[in-house]
Amino acid sequence: MPASPNSLLAGSGDPFDALGDPNRRAIVELLGSAAAAGADGRSVQELADALPISRPAVSRHLRLLKRAGLVVEEPRGTRRIYRLHDEGIEAVRAYLERVWGEAAARFRLVAEHRPSNRR
Amino acid sequence: MIDPIRLSFEVACPVERAFEVWTADIDRWWPADHTVSGSDDLLVVLEPRSGGRIYERTPGGIEHDWGEVTVWEPPARFGYLWHLRRDREDATEVEIRFVSASAATTRVEIEHRNWERLGAEGETWRDRNRGGWASLLPHYVAATTGPR
Repeated sequence: MPASPNSLLAGSGDPFDALGDPNRRAIVELLGSAAAAGADGRSVQELADALPISRPAVSRHLRLLKRAGLVVEEPRGTRRIYRLHDEGIEAVRAYLERVWGEAAARFRLVAEHRPSNRR
Repeated sequence: MIDPIRLSFEVACPVERAFEVWTADIDRWWPADHTVSGSDDLLVVLEPRSGGRIYERTPGGIEHDWGEVTVWEPPARFGYLWHLRRDREDATEVEIRFVSASAATTRVEIEHRNWERLGAEGETWRDRNRGGWASLLPHYVAATTGPR
């Protein structure tokens, strides 16, 4: 059996690179819905139980998400609890909103200057 | 009824080889992330017959069952029950077909179905498994073109 792919171990720290993997997006979604449900985070085991990948794989994904600033880790008794990192998530949201805002402004401009079909 | 996951892609080898890589060579490409123990030096086995087991064996000799072969028609098709990281009663069904696209290429068609078995959780687990397939298949594709 081959070793884990290097892409999992390296990690650029870029949040969009981190979100480029479907399993990591699933982890972010799970942590997001945990927060929405009022839970204070999830353990590796809880996350692994909800995903079709191994517990060590979930740990590696969490390390990468942590490096990208999207997830924080806290000791809770003998366990470690993971939750979304508000500032990291906010940075992603702000970026998307800025790009979306520019695209929407451009779209409005084009729409307003399109010749009317009415005679 | 919950829609199956259906995936289709081409690999650059004949049908016989595409089938062989998925089955006999599975240990060469199956990634540690998609196992129970996650250990890098474990063995992945797919017993090549109907009724055959699919399992991992850790270096310490512990075996974790992942599923059971239910259809064995080399090199055109095989199917299995699949319960990796779930209980055996929660097994879903996978069917993989290998169709000749040209002398040197094969279209691989995958259907992963029977999510109803999981009840209310079925749809969520199906969606999580899309991510699982997406991160699994590049390993298979690379193995079909890599050294034997």
